[in-house]
This record gives sequence, structure tokens and C-alpha cells, in this order.
Amino acid sequence: MSAPVVVCTWQGAGDDVAEETAAALTLGRRVAAESGTELRWLVLGPAPEDLVETARSHGVTVVDTFGDARLESPGPDAVVEAVARYSASRPAALIVFNQHFGTRFVVPRVAGRIDAAVVMNCTDVELAESGGFLVTAAAYGGDTRAVYAPDPERTCVVALLANAVLPEPVETPAQAPPVEDVDIDVAGVEERVRIVEQARSEGPRLEDAEIIVAGGRGLGSPENFKLVEELAETLGGMAGASRPIVDEGWTDSAHQVGLTGRITRPALYVAAGISGATQHMAGCSAAKTIVAINTDPDAAIFRYAKYGIVGDCLEVLPEMIRAVREAGVAR
Amino acid sequence: MASGSMLPMRIVVCVKEVLDPDAVGAYALSGGLVVGEDGKTLTQTTIPRLMNAYDEQAIEAALRIREGGTECTVSVVSVGDDLTTLLRHAVALGVDDVHEIRPPEDEPDCHVIASLLGAWIRTSGGADLVLCGRQASDDDQGVVPALLGEMLGMPVVAVARAVEITERASVMVTTVTPDGDETAEAALPAVVTISNELGEPRYPTMPMRMAARRVNPEVVEPDSISEGADLAPRVRLVRQYVPTVKGECVLIEGDGPAAQATRLVEALVGDRVLQGRP
Repeated sequence: MSAPVVVCTWQGAGDDVAEETAAALTLGRRVAAESGTELRWLVLGPAPEDLVETARSHGVTVVDTFGDARLESPGPDAVVEAVARYSASRPAALIVFNQHFGTRFVVPRVAGRIDAAVVMNCTDVELAESGGFLVTAAAYGGDTRAVYAPDPERTCVVALLANAVLPEPVETPAQAPPVEDVDIDVAGVEERVRIVEQARSEGPRLEDAEIIVAGGRGLGSPENFKLVEELAETLGGMAGASRPIVDEGWTDSAHQVGLTGRITRPALYVAAGISGATQHMAGCSAAKTIVAINTDPDAAIFRYAKYGIVGDCLEVLPEMIRAVREAGVAR
Repeated sequence: MASGSMLPMRIVVCVKEVLDPDAVGAYALSGGLVVGEDGKTLTQTTIPRLMNAYDEQAIEAALRIREGGTECTVSVVSVGDDLTTLLRHAVALGVDDVHEIRPPEDEPDCHVIASLLGAWIRTSGGADLVLCGRQASDDDQGVVPALLGEMLGMPVVAVARAVEITERASVMVTTVTPDGDETAEAALPAVVTISNELGEPRYPTMPMRMAARRVNPEVVEPDSISEGADLAPRVRLVRQYVPTVKGECVLIEGDGPAAQATRLVEALVGDRVLQGRP
């Protein structure tokens, strides 16, 4: 049998969303099945509670876990070394990570350490007719898709974008896979970057918000951002922003939604005065319902939205605040 | 670097020329973005080429370190052909010297770029601090700085909004994380990647731009620096396309914003996205 497909998740570094783990396992299972090889799940950090059941329902052949207690809350150097040693002892054809802040800058280092091919911002992996893989990735902030052919002689490492693959458990799961301790000791690895002052999460995070009201340049001026905040508050949600107005200093970067900001997945996303640049949509296209308010009927945002109002958000937002209050609505 | 050190420290900033992402975005928004005949390159000649904005901010970070009183030189390096205009812009911003490494073949990947940059850094006197933009706005990969760190054996601190050199030969970095700002420290030499949160880079003054016109980058042939290096690409771009988005938007009509807003809220309640008053 050819080398396995490995899905590597790292809970604690951001892999806390069961859906993203399921998406990576879904992609891994499909590629493994097509290439007639096994699917292994390498678990870094604390194992999710439903580890065995998740593995079973996604057709995982073997679950690999680290017995090393240090990997309960590993630093980047320990993770790079751990995955590199794992890869050396069980060479993989493909290693799939979820891409988020915790892995964004570690995955390419893993690839460098083991001299693998690497593709970030991955949206899909297929088998090439000539053998090897074809990896599709978002480029130009999502404006284009680039298809890469990694060197088939090497391990290929990919970081999968959130919401790119629809999670799909197997219809009739086989028996529960064995959970094996990979027995790799990284106790000697020293972290070269020392955290002097940890980020303090101030209140709820946009990533977890059920309702987001976001504003863009269409707000016209910085003081109008408070309309966005007020509607968000009225709906019991949070305020978001497009990158241009964060760069202009209308609000701080904690509100920035997009490829280089927060990747959100709310039930409702209201985009006020946002054109819908793909860079921004990468951070909100997973919303179940998108509502767009924009003066330009041709704005790209309307292609993503379920409901739209063609109009000036400075006129529409106050009316929405009123309408929401009158209807007494909430999530 | 440290106050007692003999030599000024050397900062190397790695930059890339990209298609103006705002122009690409404008074409994409208007539905006019097309891929050329080779099936993989954006060929619109009306899209200007310029320095990747994150890389320009990396230069800004280096200049701020120098202006902060750290005795240092700032070298800027890029891989490609015909980069004189790009590198003169770096000179006009105030860097000390600029270098253009010729690529060994037409389409070098991140591995080849990082190998060349790493080889040049090693053979040209090393670096105390390597600064890169967090990612290039064309392929968005953000892989080269990480590979450089691995190749040069340096720690990598990612997504910085502020960088300072300390008295104890280390770099103190404010990084942008989803939970807010974090402060991290790494011993030099180190690689640090810069994010847009650093703030606007300076604009070159007219005298600086005039002076930069007389500067030509040092051209570096890959053979002269990369003896024995493996310059085979790990990935090849085979195709690029513009994804289509299906539009199924229901436009809420009505007599003015008040009526539209009321209808919209009703629709959201009807879909159970919002819960109405019981």
C-alpha cells in the first residue's frame, strides 16, 4: 500500500471547532480512498472528548496520539519537531492541517523541516491522472484559485481553509479504529520564542459570534461606525469591519473580518457599506445568512447575500435598529 | 545590537514584486478578471506591478529600528528579473543597499525563493534580523519566511505590528493574535514577519527619489551563491482560474429605508434567523 494520508489536528491552537476537524477528515478520507491507502489521524494537544467516535464516523484507520505530556499545550518549536519526527518514522503521502491562526505559521515550518512540498490556503486536493496530487488554493485574497502540482516524490503538506470542504461522515461506519501512542519524545526541544506577555482575550470573540453586523467604507466616516455597533448590540451580536476601515483606524483590528483577519461563521452576517471583496468574504462566507446593504446594486456583496437592500447604509442602519427594537427580536 | 558590540547589526528585508492587489480586486469585483492564454497568469497589462505592501511595511519596520537608535544597516533583496524600479523605490525609502537575485528558471516556487534568499544571506555576511512581509498579496502563501527560518536555523516570529531590538541582542515583537496583542522575545538572529497593523509606511521624499534614480541594484547570479543547493521546485503552478459565485440575492424593495428595514426584519424572523417577540 502506498504511503498514508495523515490528518493532523491541534486542539488548543484553534482546532476547537468540531466542524473543521470533520472537514479535514472528510478531505483526508476521500484522498485516501482514491489513492487506495489508509487514513491516519494525528492528534496534537489534548484529544477531543469524542475522539474515537469522530474517528470512526470519518473512516479513520488509525488514530495517533502523543503520550508526551508537553504536547498537551505545545509551543510551535515542539510541534514542528514532533510532526517532523512522526513524518520520519511514518512517511506520509499527504499531511492535512486545518488553517487558522495557530497553524498558519507552523505548517510551512513543518514542511521546511521535512523538506516537503507545501500549499497553504488549500481548498481542495485531487489525484492527478499522472499520479501525485493536484492542490487547489485561494490566491489574490480569494479572487483566483491556483492549482499546484506538488513533487510526487515528496510528502505534500497542505493547510485547509475553513469552510472549503463540507464535512461528510461515512454512511455506515466500520468498527472503531485503534488509538496508538506514537512514542515520540520532544521533551528536549526548547522554545526559541518566549512569550513575554500573553494576549488577553477581552470579552467574546468574533469567531464565536452568532450575529455579526459589519461595516465598510460605505459608512463614509469613522463616527458612523457606532451605527454598526448599535445595531449589533440591539441584535445581541458583535460588530465587525472590513480591512480598509481598520487600516484607516476607524476601529481596531480585533474587528477585522477577512482572510488576514477573523474567519467567522455566524448565523447572521449583516454587511453594511461593504463591497464584498473576496479578501473580506473569506472571513464571512460561511455565515448561514448574509444580508447586504449597499448603494451599488452591482456590488459583489449581493452575489453572496441572501437578502439585500440597495440603499445608503447610513439611512438603512437606523431604520433597522428601530425595526429590530419594534419587533422585539433576538436570536 | 548590544551596546558593546563592535559591528553595526545587519537587517535584511526580503521583498517581492506583485500585481497591484487593489487593481486585481477591482477587476474581480467587476467580473473582468481573466487568466491569460497559458492558463495560469493574470495578463491584464493595465494592472500595475508594485512592491508587496506587507514587504514595504517590513522596510518601514527596519527603518524605524534604525531611527530608534540601533546601529544597523538595512539591505533589501528580491528574486526576479528587471527589478530596478522596485528596488529603487526601496532606496528612496532610505535603505542602505539593494540586491537582485536572478531566478534559475522561469517559475521558482517558495522553496527555490527561500533557498536563494537564504544562500545570499549566508554568503553576503549573514543577518542579525531578517524581516519579511507576512505573505505576498499575489499567491498569499506566506511560506518563504518560515522556510527561511528553517534553512537558516533562526526562530520565526509571525505577524508583527511592532519590532524593537533590545540591549541583550534579542528582538522584542508585538504580534497580532485573535485574542489581541502579544509580546514575544527571541534571541538574534531571527526572522520576523510584518503585518499591515504596523501602520502606513513612509512616502519617499522627492530628493530621495531623485537620488535613488542613480542607484542600480547589485545583480546576483544564482550560481554564485547557491553551490550545492537543491533548486528544484517542490510545487509547480499548473493552472489558475477565477472562481464564480452564484448570486441568489432577494432584494428587499419598499417605499424608503424604513419600509425596507421593516420587511427585512420580517423576512429574517420568517426564516427563524431572528426570533420575534412571543
